[in-house]
Amino acid sequence: MTALSIRNLSKNYGTFAALKDFSAEIAPGTVFGLLGPNGAGKTTTFKCLLGLSRADSGEALFDGMPLQPQFFDRIAYVPEKSVLYDWMTIGQHLEMQKRAFSAFSARRAEELLALFDLDPRKRVRNLSKGMRTGAALVMAFSANPDLLVLDEPTSGLDPLNQRAVLKLIIDAAADGKTIIFSSHQIGQVERAAEHIAILQNGKLLLAGAVEDLKSEYKIVEGIFSDERISSNGLARDPRVTRVETTGRVLRTIVRDDSSGVAAELERLGASNVRMVDLNLEDIFLNAVSPNTPAGEIVEQA
Amino acid sequence: MGSPGLTLVPAIFTIDPRSGVPIYLQLIEQVKRSVAVGALEAGEQLPTVKQLALDLTINPNTVARAYRDLERDEVIETAPGRGSFVRANGTSANARKTMEGVTLDALGTAIRDAKSMGLQRQELTQLMNAALDRWFPKEER
Repeated sequence: MTALSIRNLSKNYGTFAALKDFSAEIAPGTVFGLLGPNGAGKTTTFKCLLGLSRADSGEALFDGMPLQPQFFDRIAYVPEKSVLYDWMTIGQHLEMQKRAFSAFSARRAEELLALFDLDPRKRVRNLSKGMRTGAALVMAFSANPDLLVLDEPTSGLDPLNQRAVLKLIIDAAADGKTIIFSSHQIGQVERAAEHIAILQNGKLLLAGAVEDLKSEYKIVEGIFSDERISSNGLARDPRVTRVETTGRVLRTIVRDDSSGVAAELERLGASNVRMVDLNLEDIFLNAVSPNTPAGEIVEQA
Repeated sequence: MGSPGLTLVPAIFTIDPRSGVPIYLQLIEQVKRSVAVGALEAGEQLPTVKQLALDLTINPNTVARAYRDLERDEVIETAPGRGSFVRANGTSANARKTMEGVTLDALGTAIRDAKSMGLQRQELTQLMNAALDRWFPKEER
């Protein structure tokens, strides 16, 4: 069991701030999904966690302790870009893995090779991108680690293999492993992750339990009798994260108390007030939308 | 690749992870509905948390949360080491309550939609009566 605690992590590359004061608590046996557009700081976070990149400030604690060499026996990392050796076979990589990880299981490795339809005699140079990803995942999961750090683990895989990876993550979590992974495929995160964090430009925009976020966020919209809608009050309403108007339709995105906001719209004279559930993709887009950063209100002239 | 990672999903549970409705709520509703209509019988064993999570490809803690709530609502009971079962005692009473709950939710959604489209209470009552007449012919009223 490994709890991971990320505390105020910051990392600059020259003058570029890749990560700004990022904190997250990842409980043992949970799946944590890291979401964000390209360049959001996801890979930087992983590198800082694992000591592959030195954070400028902040720290990552494993069961309350800073990273120590012996922890690497319990942590498997699948980087976004393949780090396999071109001239070696998959089998030779697994042999290396067997020597590096005390809990390595040869039987598990065989099962996983079959799952991804990989021939251990093949040299890495002859593998497709998807097969390389598969080989890296076979290495990680057959090491039987307590903590899995997976950077875009489904990239380059076909839908069937993507589903297989999700099942591996779920299987590991059900066995009490801790998993932190990033993905551009929000639908995958929506299925596999219990908690998420959304990063953009190195900053944490939103974090929470997926199921709670879905319960909390609602679209509440109503139709007004003319286009001069006064959204001033709503713009200042702490329950409302965004107000948009299109013609006579006023749409709000609400984080809390959607019924209360619906009642408020009716009080302001809206008719046909309705509430719509948001899925994780909607919540993500609302958070990272470039035109209207989360919390900022669009005012209609 | 072969498909050892893919298993047939039990027909009574299907969830839509892209829906805005939390997955654990979808699961709770489906288990309750299955009990109410008899697709799940008293004493019947539910899949383990891990098995259902794998079958549906969803987070195991999401399944565990649904099971916890179903225990709290006295729909299922869990015997440590043996698994989760549909409760034997008072199942028909629970199922009745469950059916009422499921129906009320569906009616609530329909009424909310109707109201948002501008229908008045009286119009809605007429529509409800018309719908009732269709499904419960005169002699049953």
